[in-house]
Amino acid sequence: MTKYIFTGLLLIAVLSAACGGQSEPSAEPAMEQTTEIAEDAGNESVPPRASVSRLRVATTTSLYDTGLWSYLEPMFEEEYGVELDVLYAGTGKALEWGRRGDVDVITVHSRSREEQFVEEGYGLERVTFAYNYFLIVGSPDDPAGLEGMTPEDAFTTLMQNGEAIFVSRGDDSGTHGKEKAIWAIAGYDYEDVRTSGDWYVEGGSGMGPTLVMADEMRAYTLSDMGTYITYRSDLDLEPVVDQGDILLNVYSVLEVTSSRNPEMAANLREFLTSETVQDLIGNYGVVEYGIQLFTPCAGEGIQGI
Amino acid sequence: MPQLLEAFRIALDMIVSGDPVVFSIAFRTLMISVTATVIAALIFIPVGCLIHFNRFRGKRFLVSIIQTLFSVPTVLVGMLVFLLISRAGPLGSLGMLFSPGAIVLGEVLLIAPILTGLTISALSGMGRDVADTALSLGAGQLQMVLKVLSESRYMVLTAVLMGFGRAVSEIGVAIIIGGNISGYTRTLTTAIALGVGKGETSASIALGIILLALAMIVSVTVNTLQHSEK
Amino acid sequence: MILELENISQRKNGQRILSDVNLSFSKGAFFVLMGPTGCGKTTLLRVAGLLDKPSFGRMKYQSEPIPHRGKERLHVRRRMATVFQRPVLFRGSVFSNVEWGLRIRGISEDEISRKVSQVLVMVDLEGYGDRDSSTLSGGELQRVALARALVIEPSILILDEPTTSLDPNLRFNLLRRLKDLHSETGITFIMATHDFTDALSLGTTGAVMRNGRIEQTGTIDEIFYSPSTPFMASFVGMKNVFPAEFSEDGAIVEDLLIRHTSNKRGHGFLAIPPGAIVVSRETTVTSERNHFAGTIICIEREGSIFSISVNCGNLLMISSVTRSALSELDLTEGQDIHISFKASAVHVF
Repeated sequence: MTKYIFTGLLLIAVLSAACGGQSEPSAEPAMEQTTEIAEDAGNESVPPRASVSRLRVATTTSLYDTGLWSYLEPMFEEEYGVELDVLYAGTGKALEWGRRGDVDVITVHSRSREEQFVEEGYGLERVTFAYNYFLIVGSPDDPAGLEGMTPEDAFTTLMQNGEAIFVSRGDDSGTHGKEKAIWAIAGYDYEDVRTSGDWYVEGGSGMGPTLVMADEMRAYTLSDMGTYITYRSDLDLEPVVDQGDILLNVYSVLEVTSSRNPEMAANLREFLTSETVQDLIGNYGVVEYGIQLFTPCAGEGIQGI
Repeated sequence: MPQLLEAFRIALDMIVSGDPVVFSIAFRTLMISVTATVIAALIFIPVGCLIHFNRFRGKRFLVSIIQTLFSVPTVLVGMLVFLLISRAGPLGSLGMLFSPGAIVLGEVLLIAPILTGLTISALSGMGRDVADTALSLGAGQLQMVLKVLSESRYMVLTAVLMGFGRAVSEIGVAIIIGGNISGYTRTLTTAIALGVGKGETSASIALGIILLALAMIVSVTVNTLQHSEK
Repeated sequence: MILELENISQRKNGQRILSDVNLSFSKGAFFVLMGPTGCGKTTLLRVAGLLDKPSFGRMKYQSEPIPHRGKERLHVRRRMATVFQRPVLFRGSVFSNVEWGLRIRGISEDEISRKVSQVLVMVDLEGYGDRDSSTLSGGELQRVALARALVIEPSILILDEPTTSLDPNLRFNLLRRLKDLHSETGITFIMATHDFTDALSLGTTGAVMRNGRIEQTGTIDEIFYSPSTPFMASFVGMKNVFPAEFSEDGAIVEDLLIRHTSNKRGHGFLAIPPGAIVVSRETTVTSERNHFAGTIICIEREGSIFSISVNCGNLLMISSVTRSALSELDLTEGQDIHISFKASAVHVF
């Protein structure tokens, strides 16, 4: 008996080895946008891999956690007949993937690093397509009394207070870069801030998880508006600082020079900056959250800070 | 607490009603880890045999290294394979990164020590007796090896299941070299990690229950096998 | 000669286990390999059965050299089968165990079932085919192992102490069966044993090993009745073994001159079987006998006979006497007596 089990196992072994890699689930019905663990619906009648090209876009977590990419992905796939693989990571990691040639397109939000990326020859051009603002959010009782301050004053207060907790992304992302920029304006060396005490927490994860963490710890954090709005209903966090030029948050799209599918990469850039999609971005989440998450800005010359 | 119970209820609902998202992720995970386990078994059971049935300098050292690697951190394997198959890496031209095939590759490497090491243990457990008996009855080397393997089949099967258990429940490889791409490289573990971060409790619980069920099936089967060993 | 071992040496972990072993096995012989535990019997059988390669030496099968590797070696190995001291059976039924040797030789199904049933009858296990191998008793297990080896109809069957793990009754049955099998099949048997009864009742030829060397080889009679070395003499149970200087007059042992019938000269050994030494109160001088006076050191009972140690000058001689002789002569320890034995009873080597 066991002999047959054994032979059977070997047989399965050989068979599945023969058809390994082709193991994709068959058609899935479309699903509402709200289920966000999100299998990309719609276009899932996956044909054999060879006949459909794939395009990889690495996106900053804020564009992913807001669900914007899950929303746009099927449209792009349908329009261009391509499988779009959306990979989420902090801006630093997304750019690193681009440098290594592992992705074709990048959508991130860190002007200086993007410009450096283009200068070094890794990216074709920095094309901005949307913006919103960063917010400093915290528990409603605002223990450090930051309400109404400028971002740099708020940070100075936190540093001097030393008890109110601040959760940093700590992941080399665009948001993390913005936070460092604010510390610089406030006149602090970032290393000193990092090591100044237990009040400063380096979360090390995406925007969504960082907000969840700040909520759990009744702490402050710096968040892009889009992600904050998306998560707001589940959190007990209120915006405490939302004014200041430095809080401008500009998203741009970069085609990776070494892409093996440059045409399709250009298509994605065009898609994001097209009038139709710009409208969709502008309206994204308005019905659901009652507020605009992203302001489209393609071709408007807004470069950010 | 009521929130958690509610989430749990929805999760069970998703499983019972056969939620397409949950099940496509579960099915993909299964395909990836089964493929990885099968490939690893086809390669590393023979490797275990080679090591066991040959005498060479440094054999004991090699075996102890293999045993140490049983619990190699998954993220380490993930990082290694990432550097290997990233476009800038030595195998970059294959363009494998961020694909199910890449996860399979990573998981094969991840469970290779378990399969090799436990195969060696299984064969050692048989002692010289079976090998001698087979040879004394006229077996060629290969016939002898196959006989010893077949006599220790429960233990070898246990090795395969342990490998599968590790492959199905690991996250380091899947997230680093799979990239958690929706509909393509999203597995049970990466989906759970993402879902928890997003507060998608119910779906995460549903996926967690399925993962747990898989793990339990493996461990019950292993126990049964080890029981029938006696 | 069906199998010949020439200058075989075997080392394991730096230790020499076999030294310069030369043995030939004639076709159809029942060869018994004897020697104390740890003398290298099992190692020698493994080399003979082609399970291990010797560190040094050559082997021949039917006068053709056996190569150290390759098809040819496997071909010769397939003409042999070994039954180990403690056989292990494979998982599964008795039938699947017995058929295995045939299956790996690619024998047809019909042939397999015919041969297996035949051999099961031979070892008295008719109808055991479907029994699970893990449910067998010690004796049955031993016979399945035997059947498994016999079914491939080997030219040489090697048995490593097949009776040690069996109780006396089973042992007796197995020995009888081996004897029958040997005469029925004409297979050359090579059996290691440390039991003289086994050797004497089964063996036609044999060898005795000591510390990895062959001490003596020859027919069973030669081994038991003409030991060639003091070790052999004591191994086969001889007492009164002494080193001696041989000359025309006789053999000088210590300060005694012992007459014998051999024409050996120079240094050597002699042995006097205790049963051949007669103890008496008076001297009865006859020309063909050796006579010595001595003192009884001790009297010990050894089974049904008594062993009397007599000190003759510097030589301690042992004589065996029956109970009746002992009481007739009224022997006691410390008593002065005479001993005598025939010159023809002295074994010289």
